[in-house]
This record gives sequence, structure tokens and C-alpha cells, in this order.
Amino acid sequence: MDLFSNLALGFATAASPENLLFCLIGVILGTLIGVLPGIGATATIAMLLPITFQLEPVSSLIMLAGIYYGAQYGGSTTAILINMPGESSSAVTAIDGYQLARQGKAGTALAVAALGSFFAGTVATVLVAVFAPPLTVIALKFGAAEYFALMLLGLVSAIALAHGSILKALAMVVLGLLLGVVGTDIYTGTPRFTFGITAFADGLSFVALAVGLFGIAEILRNLEGEQDRTILGAKLGSLFPSKADLKAMVAPMLRGTALGSAFGILPGGGAVLASFASYTMEKRLSDHPEEFGKGAIAGVAGPESANNAGAQTSFIPLLTLGIPANPVMALMVGAMIIQGIVPGPNVATDQPALFWGIIASMWIGNLMLIVLNLPLIGVWVKLLKVPYHLLFPIIMAFCSIGVYSVNSNVYDLYAVAGFGLLGYILLKLRCEPAPLLLGFVLGPLLEENLRRAMILGRGDPTVFLTRPISATLLALTVIVLVVVLMPSVGKKRAEVFTESD
Amino acid sequence: MALHFKFAAIAATAALMGTSALAQGFPDRQITMIVPFAAGGPTDTVGRLIAEKMSADLGQQIIVENVGGAGGTLGAGQVAEAEADGYTILLHHIGMATSATLYRNLAYKPLDAFEYVGLVTEVPMTLVARQDFEPTDMAGLLTYLKDNAETTTMANAGIGSASHLCGMLFMQAVEAPIVTVPYKGTGPAMTELLGGQIDLMCDQTTNTAEQIKGGTIKAYATTAPARLDIFPDLQTVAEAGLPTMEVGIWHGLYAPKGTPAEATDRLSASLQKALADPDIAAKFGELGTQPVAADQGTPAALKAKLEGEITRWQPIIETAGVYAD
Amino acid sequence: MGSINRADLAAGLVFVIIGAVFGLTSLGLDMGSTLRMGPGYFPMLLSVLLVLLGGAICFNSFRQMHIAVEPYAWRGMVFILGAPVFFGLTVRGLGFVPSIFLTTLLAAFAGLKLRPLQAVLLAVAVTLFCTLVFSVALGLPFRRFGPWLSVVGV
Repeated sequence: MDLFSNLALGFATAASPENLLFCLIGVILGTLIGVLPGIGATATIAMLLPITFQLEPVSSLIMLAGIYYGAQYGGSTTAILINMPGESSSAVTAIDGYQLARQGKAGTALAVAALGSFFAGTVATVLVAVFAPPLTVIALKFGAAEYFALMLLGLVSAIALAHGSILKALAMVVLGLLLGVVGTDIYTGTPRFTFGITAFADGLSFVALAVGLFGIAEILRNLEGEQDRTILGAKLGSLFPSKADLKAMVAPMLRGTALGSAFGILPGGGAVLASFASYTMEKRLSDHPEEFGKGAIAGVAGPESANNAGAQTSFIPLLTLGIPANPVMALMVGAMIIQGIVPGPNVATDQPALFWGIIASMWIGNLMLIVLNLPLIGVWVKLLKVPYHLLFPIIMAFCSIGVYSVNSNVYDLYAVAGFGLLGYILLKLRCEPAPLLLGFVLGPLLEENLRRAMILGRGDPTVFLTRPISATLLALTVIVLVVVLMPSVGKKRAEVFTESD
Repeated sequence: MALHFKFAAIAATAALMGTSALAQGFPDRQITMIVPFAAGGPTDTVGRLIAEKMSADLGQQIIVENVGGAGGTLGAGQVAEAEADGYTILLHHIGMATSATLYRNLAYKPLDAFEYVGLVTEVPMTLVARQDFEPTDMAGLLTYLKDNAETTTMANAGIGSASHLCGMLFMQAVEAPIVTVPYKGTGPAMTELLGGQIDLMCDQTTNTAEQIKGGTIKAYATTAPARLDIFPDLQTVAEAGLPTMEVGIWHGLYAPKGTPAEATDRLSASLQKALADPDIAAKFGELGTQPVAADQGTPAALKAKLEGEITRWQPIIETAGVYAD
Repeated sequence: MGSINRADLAAGLVFVIIGAVFGLTSLGLDMGSTLRMGPGYFPMLLSVLLVLLGGAICFNSFRQMHIAVEPYAWRGMVFILGAPVFFGLTVRGLGFVPSIFLTTLLAAFAGLKLRPLQAVLLAVAVTLFCTLVFSVALGLPFRRFGPWLSVVGV
């Protein structure tokens, strides 16, 4: 069969000593830079991109792919250890991962994240190799109406992200949507809520929002009391997950992988939903939904698997169409072009060694990541023993550099301070940041696709119902809404709320 | 550390000694090339390719810094305010000319804020359509639009983008009220074109060439003055009877106003050397473009180009009535 | 029971105020119609929704338990929030090295535990590390020493 000869070619390419070396260097660099607070995958790749330009095309892209996975994993590590996510996906990991860390189970959380990522990465790599072309066909069926329906479904599900009051979670989602609207309106060019600052014309920086809302607000909270303690609330537990932990992560990992693989193939923002959707799903299916937000293993395993599966399958549009699905992929395209390879629909046939080499290196990269990271967990966890008064100035230095390096925009730094303040106030008022973050990510997509669907549908609102995929997604949205508002569920939530206070 | 302080001291002394001393040894340290768009985009690619070649000639590294945002005006504004010592330069495209009209409260004046180094390249554009769109050629498209303009949709990558500029030209040339659908960037717009969600787009050949070759979209015409080497069968817009649609996304290299002529001349000489390099021609060729002739890589040529283009685009943008501020 | 949940009341008010600010600003934008929405349509819709949700949260706060108000980290707010702002103000002028040194020092003052000498040592270490990693090893386009220093140097 073709597939086997192709995979053989891929592994032969990716497993050549120098490509293995570049993959390893990429994974290590990606992890080390990505683990710095406030520096997520996009910033890491942007920083490390120039070093790959000197290499052969295949080696360069393999190294870049390694950097990408490494940075993703490094980003999750910071999210778990100090509640500072650098990417929308790791924001979800932070919710329960950080709570686990405070309970002395950082090692467990990190190991669960690593294992979940590896499993998801393996499955998704196979998916990419076998099903890339048919999956592309599905992805292309998604137009504006479908994206709008998908975003709506994502937003409604977001209510489950919070463990407190539904009303507050909804208000946070809406606030996030509003903040997401800031910037130039793409349809008319009108600046909205930018206060005349051109630097905000392209919207507020996601990294600034995530760092401020999660990381800085948490630092401020920690500064309230005595300061010679460490992040660790309790005694440091076992570094590795117990058998029970491993058992608890299997089902979420499987579901997360499926969700992430499905969302990842959608260019144009599908992937951002994957980890949020997985979290929602796990919370709904769990026998102990009250544990979510307080250190549930499933709340780390599911989203991390979804995230990594999505990261893998988001290569599909790039590899089969030559179209980048997200900013990270856009950087990959740039790297390809610099190397003299203009990606397009023919990359697989014109450059089989490159195409299959990248796919093979995805799996090799994931393997290296787990080999590298399981022993590193011990090192990362020791960081939690660093006294807090030494830790937070270091965090502030890194996150300032990280936020600035993305776009060399000083206003992003002012935004960090603003969002830090907002995050702290909201924290004091017992409003959880995750729904706001989801709203912020989805807001522009929701509005953009709503308006585009109306233009393309010549002003006919029934387009959302006459297109089958869109209609199905909207029906799902209604079902989720009903489930959320059902009295029994409501009562359960109320109990949770009382307990948590 | 000591090294850095010494470094600062040298810089300070050089500043004291005035411009001639500075220019004699120019460049004696690393140069920053600001690209006012995201890393990995077509402009960034042009910048990095040219920076690499010029570094070799200058004997000093040119590093590319991406300062994206607001249609390139953020990065350009930053260079306008940078020290005029030749160590900060700007690679910008046609947006330098269109932003003069598109942005009504720009912090700098494109014509007054910069010294010129030279033109780099001019990327031709292609008018493309979804694969199953009815008209089979340019003549067919023009006939089709006579009756169906209001139900025909045309994508662009946002206000001020290359595809938006070309779309404006096209609509004014054919005088048809086609429905414009903006996207956030070329990627999403191209995806929807591939998926058949939208009918037309006019974009840089860099973005369209591989898709046309792959047969996933079809091309009607190129906006270049002559047929393209990679698509010899593709009509030019002039051949199709739309000469006003001729347009290219030209790139130029600038320095802040007041940069000593010694520095800009040195940079310009280096640019011309890079443009003549066969390696650059080959790499640009893969992007569907070519370096400008060596005599265009000069300050005078770029100045003339910018002035001409500002005058050309002002009425087009004002007629369309779309502003980006 | 029966007393006011101050956190919720305040949260509700915060949402109402933010919603109102966005809503009033949206008035200056073109609303368009439902079929062809203008730039103001979506933000206005969201603003109204936020005000309503905020109002509902306020209303609910009167029927819940009282929650003790905790202290605020005032000192932390000044120094921690000041740090990235300071970095933004000085990174171009002073250059990367002095700016990151002072930013770290500033952040260190947010706590009470660190003695001045320790803070300086910490800032030196962080500066050294960041310069080596970001500027030297990764070659990020940061200017290590900015124009302000050369003026002072003269």
C-alpha cells in the first residue's frame, strides 16, 4: 500500500541522524523557552524561527515542528506551575493543573499532561497520515454560517468552565466578547474602543490578556498575606501519578483526543475550541463535577490531549492546501517560503520526502518530548520550592519580555498591567477568568462570521438553518442550553457554589 | 557586560563626532530592518531574503524585526521616529503609498518622514475564482458580471491589503457593484475560495500560484504589464481591455528622515548588489516575482515610485469611500 | 442568610459600569441593520446584555450569605502592575539591559521579605540570564543599551 511506502519514506527522512538531532534540539529549545512564564508557543516560534533558516528545508521544518511541540508542552508546564498560560489552550490546563500544583500534586499534573499529549499526538499523527485528504474535504465545507454556529456552541458550553454562579460566568463570557471586539472593524475599517491608540488597531493582545488575567492576578493574590511561603499549599506529594490517577485519565484522554482531532482540522479558529470543549465535556460526564476547578485529573488530561491532537491535525490544512490554520502555521509557511518551498495543494506529490518527513517527525518529536519531560518533571516541581518573594520578580521580568517580544509593541505591556488589575479585581469579586478568555478568543470570530454569513446569504437569516452542518450545530447548541438550564443540574450547581464558599 | 558599556561609549563618541565620522565606517554594528507585518508573511519573506544578501555585502548583520499592526503603519511610524543613523531601516510595500489616503490621521507623513534607499521588487497579482465558478475566461467573466454583479462575491484580506486594493481597482474598472467580503488575512480568504464559499479574489501571485498550478482555483488574468513566466497562457489585464487594473505590490527600503546620505548610499549600493544576485532572482522567482532592475534599486527610483503611487491611489480610495482609521 | 453578598453586588456593579461604558461608546458607531450589521451593532448588543447580566447579579446578591472581605494587596498592585509599564516605557530609550534590571528590581519591591541588597543581586542575576538567553543566544532584535544612555554618557 502507498501509505506504508510513504511512511517509510517519512521515517527514513526524519530518522536520519542530523534530522533526529535537529528535532531533538527543537524540542529542547521549544520546551526551555516555552516554559518561561508568559512565553507561549507563538512567541517561542517567532523567537526561534530565524535560527532554522540556515538549515536544509526538511531539517528546518522538522526542527520548527519540534519547537512547536516543545513550546506547547513548556507552556502547559508554566500554566500548571504558576498559573501563567501563554496560549488559549493552556489556559484551560491552568484551571485544574494549578490547583493540583497547590495541593502538592504538580508532578501528577505534569505527568498526566505529558502522557495525555503523547497519546493524543500519536493518534493524531496516524490520522494526519491516513486521512488528511478526506478530512480536508470536510474542513472546506465550513463556511461562515457553520463557523458562527460552531462558535455559538462553544460559547454556550463555556458556562461549564466556571464552578461558581452561572450568571457571573455568563457575564464574564460577554465581557470577554466585548474585549475581543476592540480594534478595527474588518468590514468598515472603523476603529472601535481603541481610545485613539493605533497600537490597539489589531485588537488587544491575547498573551497580554492571558498573562494579566491569570498570572498577574494570581501573583497579586499571593502577595496579600505573608510572603515567605511557596506556591505549594500542602506538602509535596508523589512526583508520578498513582494507579488511580492513571485510571482516571484514560477516558478523558480518549475523548479529548477525538475532540481535538476533529476541531484541529478546521482552519479559522476551530482548534481554539478543542481544549475548552474537552473541559466542558469532562465536567458534564464526570461523577464528581464538583472537583472541577479544584484539581480534577480529568480537567487536565482531557484538555491537554485535545490540545495536542488539535495541534497535530491543524497541520492538515497546511499540508494538503498550503493554508495556515493559525499564526503558528503561518510562521511555518514563512519558513517554507524562505526555504524556497511555496506550500500548496501539490506539496505532498512534489515534495514527498518533506511532506512525509514532517508527519513522521511529528511522532518522533512527541516521543522525544515524553522521554525528555518525564525526568524533567522533578526539576520543574522543585521550582515550586523557591520562596515566592524570589520567584515573582523573576516571573515579572520574563513575562514583560515575553509579551513585548511577540510584536515589539509597548502598548501590549500596558495592557498586561491593565488586565492584571482587572483580573485581580474580578478575582476578589469571585469571578473566574476562564469564561472571559474563551469569550475574548471567540468574540471576533463570532461577529466576523455572523456578519459574513449575512452578507453571503444576501441578508437572509435562514442560511443558518438551511445549511445542514450549521443547522446540526445550532440544534446541538439548543440541547446544551437545555441541559445547562435543567433544574436538576441547576440544583447541583447551587450545591457546589455553597460548598465552595 | 564590560563589552556592552564600551559599546555604548563608542556609540556616544560617534554621535559626538558627527555624521561624517559615523558614515565613514558605516556600518560598524548590527542593523535592524523593521518589517511592519507579521513574521512568515510575503513581505517578511522578501525582507529576510534581501537582508541576508545585504548582510553579506555590508559585513554587518541585518536583523529583521517584525512590528506588525494597523496595516503596516505601526512599524512605519516606529521607523519614522527612530534615530536617523542608518542602523534602523524599513521594508514596506505599496501600503506606504495607500496608507497616506487610507489613514486620515496618520502620525507621520509618508512623503516627509523617510529617506529612500531603493525599490526591491514588484509582485504581480492574479485575478482568481473558485474552481466551479461559471465564467471560463476573462471575457466570459466580464459578460457574466454585466447581469450578475450583485450576486457575485469577492473576497479580500482586510482593508488596505493587497487583495483589497486590487479588488477596488477591478470594481472601478468593470464598473460593477460586486459584493465585497472582507476576511482577516489571506489564509481564511483563500480557504473559503477553495471551499467554494466565495466567487472571486485578486491576490498576490505568491499566494495564488501554487493553488492555480494545483487546479484548486482558476485564474482569469494577471495585473502585471506583461505575461508571467510561470503562466505564459494567462492574459494580462491590459489584453483583457482593463489597462487601469495594472498593479503590482512593490516593496521599497527606507530609512528615517535625516539619515546621512553616506549611509543611505552605502545601503543602496548593497541593495543593488543583492538585486543582481542570481540567488535572489531564483528565490524571488519561486514567489512569482523578480527583483527590480538594478537601476531601480536607487533612492531616486523609490522616491518617484512613492510619489506617483500616492497620487494614483488617492482618487481610487476616495471614490471607494473606505478608510482604515 | 438575608444579608448582602458584597462581592456579588460589587461584581454586578462592575459589569453594569463596564457594559454602560462600552454601550455609550458604541452609540458613536454605525449600527447598521440586522441584515447588514454596522460596526456598532454587535458591541451594542453585548453591552446591553452585560448591563442586564450585571443587574441580575446585583439583584441576586441581596439574597445570599455574607462573605468576609479580604485585604487587598495595595503594595503589590503598585509595584507588580508598575513593572511591565516601566519596562514598556524604558525598553526602547534605556535599552534592554538597564530596563530589565530596573523592572526586576521594581517588581521585587512588591514583597516585604526581600532586603535591598538581595533584590539588587536578584535583579543582576535575572538581567544577566535574560541578556544571555534572549539577546545573545536567540539574537532577538533588542537594543541592549538605548539612546538615552549615550546622551547621558556624553
